[in-house]
Amino acid sequence: MYPGVWTTYILILFFSWILVLSVFGCAPGTAWTLVNLGHFAITYHFFHWKKGTPFADDQGMYNTLTWWEQMDNGKQLTRNRKFLTAVPVVLYLIASHTTDYQHPMLFLNTIAVTVLVVAKLPNMHKVRIFGINAGS
Amino acid sequence: MVRLPYSTALTTLFSYGLLFAFGHLRDFFRRIIDSRKPTTNLKDYAPICLGHEDFYTRRLFNRVQDCCNRPIASAPDAWIDVIERYSNDGNKTIHRTSKTSRCLNLGSYNYLGFAAADEYCTPRVIESLKKYSASTCSVRVDGGNTKLHIELEELVARFVGKPAAILLGMGYATNSTIIPALIGKGGLIISDSLNHNSIVNGARGSGAAVRVFQHNNIAHLEEVLREQIAQGQPRTHRPWSKIIVIVEGIYSMEGELCKLPEVISVCKKYKAYTYLDEAHSIGAIGKSGRGVCDLLGVDPADVDIMMGTFTKSFGSCGGYIAASKEIIHHLKQTCPAHIYATSMSPPAVQQVISAIKVILGEDGTNRGAKKLAQIRENSNFFRSELKKMGFEVLGDNNSPVMPIMLYNPAKIPSFSRECLRLNVAAVVVAFPATPLLLSRARICISASHSREDLIKGLEVLSKAGDISGIKYFPVEQEKTTSVEKLKKIQ
Repeated sequence: MYPGVWTTYILILFFSWILVLSVFGCAPGTAWTLVNLGHFAITYHFFHWKKGTPFADDQGMYNTLTWWEQMDNGKQLTRNRKFLTAVPVVLYLIASHTTDYQHPMLFLNTIAVTVLVVAKLPNMHKVRIFGINAGS
Repeated sequence: MVRLPYSTALTTLFSYGLLFAFGHLRDFFRRIIDSRKPTTNLKDYAPICLGHEDFYTRRLFNRVQDCCNRPIASAPDAWIDVIERYSNDGNKTIHRTSKTSRCLNLGSYNYLGFAAADEYCTPRVIESLKKYSASTCSVRVDGGNTKLHIELEELVARFVGKPAAILLGMGYATNSTIIPALIGKGGLIISDSLNHNSIVNGARGSGAAVRVFQHNNIAHLEEVLREQIAQGQPRTHRPWSKIIVIVEGIYSMEGELCKLPEVISVCKKYKAYTYLDEAHSIGAIGKSGRGVCDLLGVDPADVDIMMGTFTKSFGSCGGYIAASKEIIHHLKQTCPAHIYATSMSPPAVQQVISAIKVILGEDGTNRGAKKLAQIRENSNFFRSELKKMGFEVLGDNNSPVMPIMLYNPAKIPSFSRECLRLNVAAVVVAFPATPLLLSRARICISASHSREDLIKGLEVLSKAGDISGIKYFPVEQEKTTSVEKLKKIQ
């Protein structure tokens, strides 16, 4: 609906990679791993952990739904959802390639991408494993 | 819809993202600091609101709340006294001082200048205040039906061009209580996507099914009508009991007129009723001030129900519905705002009667015609000058409402505060009332603005616009030198 949301997302990831490189002065592969893990933490918290909306007007109608489940009114497999599922996979590929598939980074990156992609699958809509995060 | 440039969309999204991130950071630290404080004595009660529900109000709106709810200390004429305020804690609490500043009023809906004392209206209003007192203290059906109310209903019906009218005490309540009285479960309401909140509220409260068509898109309206008539009611597929299409005369956030002749022809073709909300257009546009039907040449008999308010062009309060005698008779027996709500205050009724008489010229002067010509001239002059300066201004010609696009969330308070500093009172509108990325400053022109007032306003808006960086379009160069060269060649 709003132009430029996808582009802003990609640009934020790119600029945070440059920020990590300039702050820590590490190898590019390590920087991509850090961006991938940071992206994992932030998007997991905002898409799959936080529930409800920032507005009080809807009177708590969405208080049991995470933001991922509220997106596009609950319709699965829309363009937005497909794009947002592809982004962690692409980040994983970039991070693994630039670190040459070396050991500790590969393990962490694989965990990040598995958790994120599984959380975004249509079968996981409104599923709460072991009742974690089921309260309002 | 407004097409915004791509780079502006990126920067606006980035700004909102930054505000959002900082808000969350502050909330995070606040939660840590507050967890050390002792709990209150409301220990086992449910919280009034969960922490993230009022996130938008606390972290985004409170930062700029000095631009809203500004108290005024005079009548909202062309110039207005705004009370100066200060805040010591970053806008969490704002305190009034006893000083006021006299500002040019570009925010009030004072289209014909009736908001301040008027030489014909005010003496009559004071007389009716002495005779009927400030309130009828009763509902219309009990003891609140005075001679003035009956006179105004007949006058409004005559002014608008319909057989009968009904008055209600509040403009918002007119829409939100009349629509449920007209249609219920089993009916269909098709409303424009940019309709006012009162119409949305009334439509939801009625229990009818609601479908939305894209703003001013007649092809989409026809598509929605055809699909809905073919499908019928949701599960049973029975035909709809009735279909009402609701549009507005002037859309107050865009300043655009609706395409009324096309809407009427589509509705006649598919036998749907039309409901026209003329809150902003009655009295302000059209040759004799009779609203959008007058301007676009539509016969009032073709619109089934015409609604309007007295707050904008007539300087009073309240609303009306004008329709056929049978519909008004039905509404008088079913509309809750007529049966249970206090009737309009008699001085307010007298103000509207006098204002309509001035507009129609029945007070014996031509002040009404002069006011109508003045507002048309003022609006067209102001809009063309703003466009020449490079602002992105929405709205059609002849419409007295002109929104100036701001987009970026930081430009909203910057523009508003800069204008107030230079003594112009302008209104800015942001997220819940407009889409997220399309915040704007809304200018309302009045017939009581003189040419000097408008020029001063333009200067101030230009300066504030330069500081905030909202001149998105290129400035039109002066065309005089090229015209002179042409004349010399000839």
